[in-house]
Amino acid sequence: MIGTVYKPMDEILSALEDCEKVIVTGCNGCAKVCKTGGEPEIKSMSEKLEAAGKTVVTQLLPERTCYIQHTTGAFQGHEDEIRSTDAFLVLGCGGAAQITRQALEEMGFLKPVKIGLDSVGHMDTVVANKLALEQCQECGECVLNETGGICPVTKCAKSLLNGPCGGAQNGKCEVDPERDCAWIMIYERMKALGEVNKLKVYTAPKDYSKMNKPRRVVLG
Amino acid sequence: MKITDLFRIKKSVLTSEVGPVKGSVRPNPKSEKPKCLQEALAVRDYVDAVNVTDNQSAVMRLGSLPASVRLKESGIEPIYQITCRDRNRIALQSDILTAHSFGIDNILALTGDYTSLGDHRSAKPVFDLDSVQLIKIADGLKKGYDMMGHELTQAPDFALGAVVNPNFEPLDLQLLKMEKKIEAGAEFFQTQAVYDPRIFERFINIASGFGVPIQLGIVLVKSSKMAKFMNENVSGINVPENWIQEYDRAGTSKAKDVCVNLTSELVRELAPMCNGVHFMPLGWSSMVPEIIDKAGISKS
Repeated sequence: MIGTVYKPMDEILSALEDCEKVIVTGCNGCAKVCKTGGEPEIKSMSEKLEAAGKTVVTQLLPERTCYIQHTTGAFQGHEDEIRSTDAFLVLGCGGAAQITRQALEEMGFLKPVKIGLDSVGHMDTVVANKLALEQCQECGECVLNETGGICPVTKCAKSLLNGPCGGAQNGKCEVDPERDCAWIMIYERMKALGEVNKLKVYTAPKDYSKMNKPRRVVLG
Repeated sequence: MKITDLFRIKKSVLTSEVGPVKGSVRPNPKSEKPKCLQEALAVRDYVDAVNVTDNQSAVMRLGSLPASVRLKESGIEPIYQITCRDRNRIALQSDILTAHSFGIDNILALTGDYTSLGDHRSAKPVFDLDSVQLIKIADGLKKGYDMMGHELTQAPDFALGAVVNPNFEPLDLQLLKMEKKIEAGAEFFQTQAVYDPRIFERFINIASGFGVPIQLGIVLVKSSKMAKFMNENVSGINVPENWIQEYDRAGTSKAKDVCVNLTSELVRELAPMCNGVHFMPLGWSSMVPEIIDKAGISKS
């Protein structure tokens, strides 16, 4: 799931400064789970825009905006409203905003597409309605087999591969005292598994070209 | 002069540390010597070499390389510190070659403090390499090859040092990393500041068996406030409560006396267990000679 949070309202209004009529869209996938771009949220955002003097032409909610056919499908039948609007405000991730632009272009519309959210990471772990967090950075070269199933690339602030820095205090990370030191967790886990010796093996620098952007996967 | 040559012939090697200034050091007829050079000059006759920190605590300053070169020009042997925080593998290797080209004979390779501890908190942290990898790659440069196996036109040569934190819990994990650094090519170690003799003893009893020289690291404590601040904010440092009470009892005007007394006592007790002492005076370089004299140690 892509984690999203609201941009400050001032920033959203500033982005829409030259636009009087706005179509608000969301995403019934990740943004719905994050409670930032589901049905209640696009309704609430529309009310805020109206209160700020904008005219909300309509609200549209693609099932999953990242699937362009869902987005195009949600827009079809609304061509007159799209033609009349000055801009779109997307309550979705950065991908959703770009797919919205692409879908509009493919439908023959040239409309400003603004985004109302900041994307804050790929949240691979979700505790429903409570917390979403990132445990994997999709580095393209997984080391979990060597680190007791705990990812130092993501959980160590410095992404160290050969053991801890000297900065942990009371088992906590020097960067964030609320967070456990990833390497102490890895060590304890490997100790419990009787595999501490495996941590003595030198880990070579990562091939960061596997994280060069934009990344793609050919499906099928 | 490589510091490793000294470890071979001397029982105790003494070093101190300076932090480069936040500004340029191009000589200017109107300006006085930069503070980092003044501090290094204050300890020149008492120590074998002076570490130059690399944007210490992630606070942006003059680079450790030009500051190291300035020291060298003034007859002070620099230990050029290089961290993984601000440069990727291309820049780190290039800087090591540059350092050697400018006459640097000693390099201390570290991970580096995280960006959020410093004065440019929104900076992008690099950490392309970790310290073990940097040491292995630096060792490879000495053998004439870059990390991709490409041959160098001229190989650099330098003493390659590393750091270790004896205060770390679990110590086994810190020692495991220390051994990896040795395996990678680390030739000497300077420790994080240690104030508790029992902690140092526990560490050195094991680490002395690794066969590489180890210097005890000491940060000069200036006040109880600083001690408390370090305990709360500086990674891995633990100034004991009795030290804090000493500073409180003596008051600000006597803080330097307390510093000399407590530090020299500690050094006197711990220095014989290892291969020398590394002082981190944090601006109090002028105190280092007195501490060295009082501790009964000397650079040769």
